[in-house]
Amino acid sequence: MSVIWALIADTFQEARARWLFWGLFALSTLLVLLFLLIVQVDVTAGAISFMGVDATSRRVYNIEKFVIVSYSWVSIALYIWGTFLAVFASSGLIPSVLEAGRISLLLSKPVGRTTLLMGRFLGNLLVVTLNHIYLVYSIWLILGWKTHIWSPRFLLAIPISVFIFAVLLCVVVLIGVLSESAALSVMVPIAITLLSAVLAQRQFVIRLFDSEWSRQLWTAFYWIIPKVYDLGNAMRQIILFDRQADLWTPVWTSALFGAAVLTGAVYLFRKRDF
Amino acid sequence: MMSDYAIETSGLEKIYRSRFRGREIKAVSNLTLRVPAGVKYGLLGPNGAGKTTFVKMLLSAVRPTAGSAVLFGQDAVRPESRRAVGYLPENHRFPTYLTGYGMLNFYASLSGMDATERKRRVPEFLDLVGLNGWGEVRLKKFSKGMLQRLGLAQALIHKPKLLILDEPTDGVDPVGRRAIRDILNQLTGTGVTVFINSHLLSEVETFCDYVAIMRKGQLALEGKISNLLAGGGYRVTASSVPDPAQAQIRRLGATFLPADRNAVAVQVPTRDEANAVIDIIRAAGAFIESVTVSTNSLEDLFIHATTSEQAA
Repeated sequence: MSVIWALIADTFQEARARWLFWGLFALSTLLVLLFLLIVQVDVTAGAISFMGVDATSRRVYNIEKFVIVSYSWVSIALYIWGTFLAVFASSGLIPSVLEAGRISLLLSKPVGRTTLLMGRFLGNLLVVTLNHIYLVYSIWLILGWKTHIWSPRFLLAIPISVFIFAVLLCVVVLIGVLSESAALSVMVPIAITLLSAVLAQRQFVIRLFDSEWSRQLWTAFYWIIPKVYDLGNAMRQIILFDRQADLWTPVWTSALFGAAVLTGAVYLFRKRDF
Repeated sequence: MMSDYAIETSGLEKIYRSRFRGREIKAVSNLTLRVPAGVKYGLLGPNGAGKTTFVKMLLSAVRPTAGSAVLFGQDAVRPESRRAVGYLPENHRFPTYLTGYGMLNFYASLSGMDATERKRRVPEFLDLVGLNGWGEVRLKKFSKGMLQRLGLAQALIHKPKLLILDEPTDGVDPVGRRAIRDILNQLTGTGVTVFINSHLLSEVETFCDYVAIMRKGQLALEGKISNLLAGGGYRVTASSVPDPAQAQIRRLGATFLPADRNAVAVQVPTRDEANAVIDIIRAAGAFIESVTVSTNSLEDLFIHATTSEQAA
């Protein structure tokens, strides 16, 4: 256990030394300050007034609904912002440990290769989790303080954002092990994220295809690729108290994808010569 | 299972295959080697001989294509086998964001040392390598020699039974080399096996008990240094030696060595043969220029082992 903690702590230290940790927090703080500024200028009241809803009237339900809708859209913004920043911040942390002269020393220790890679993975995840907690919790406090409407469901953005980042981190690890390229480790997860948004439109797109084969291929891709878009959408719907929201399908399919990719990364890492 | 040997390899082989062209490079070929526990062992060879690949196979950083490597009776593939190993790689890249203390603490924890033990040993080993006072300084401020000494402390901190050093003094100035040698000399008599991969013959000759020389991925020569260097003899140099006398000397089995014009230099293994050669030269009216007792140097052995066709 102390070995895995040492590896997690080392990843954490490296993230701090490379300014990735502080950079993430600085950008998150910037977003929090921007948000604080927006609510300070009473945009909420302005928006309520614009919608023709009187806060002092009996139509309190509408104000609540408006705030909950705001919560849902803010959660989406944080989900996208947090995921993209986290992928950028993590891209170099796997290739850096594979540098000749560093990896050979790590491999000379009585530590299995799977443990080495998982320590790095978990360290990365910890850095991003802390940042997500800070970012989402701060925004939640500001929204709650300003509107006096506290929606605990908004905090769902933390586990969901961390989860989807963990899935994309599996891709970062695989690409890092395969190519040792930080740039490629960013490009592939971003491409997957964009692809997931396109594939999610399958109900519309498959109607455009002539052949059954094309429709099946599109559907297959939809099920294989992690559902970054669907998961964000499901999170928004849950915050909106939408009972039709299906969170579990995107969760289990994405988790399966992440597990398969991480298993592949571990397999390749165990087989590789350094 | 404990073994009398720190390292045992049997038919060890590594073939690198290029991913797309299918080209094969045999880096190490059928290498069988036994390093007794407690000795100081040097591994020599020209660049590209396969030394580093061999060391990496011992540490399981490179997977053998065939054969096996065993450390103290345990298969080198198992992480547990490396619990007794300390390693200092060539061209190491220690994380520069760590301090001297942090670096030793990190690698010691990976070696399985608990927190209490690390707290005690880290300052002790910083002191051992002369870096007392540098514990809180980040590694990016360290010189090459200091990093090398810190690397040595990292390799020694968990009290390994086998120390593997890959070019330990490479790029280090003479003072730094001396400091590293002094640290290594302190290991004499402690039962620690030291395995040095180096291209510096003098370093191996002065420090090691045993040597192995690799050439083109194979073992060209191996043995106790004192035995290998004992195979000397007598060297006789003479001038104006007529051809019939030279033929007579050749019939004695003497080896003719390169010499100046009009001079003849011959090597014979025994004193009696040296006297016989001198008698022939004197009888032919030629002049003895010098008679010297010669010993093999490690350099002679190295050149012979790495250039002769038989060694390949």
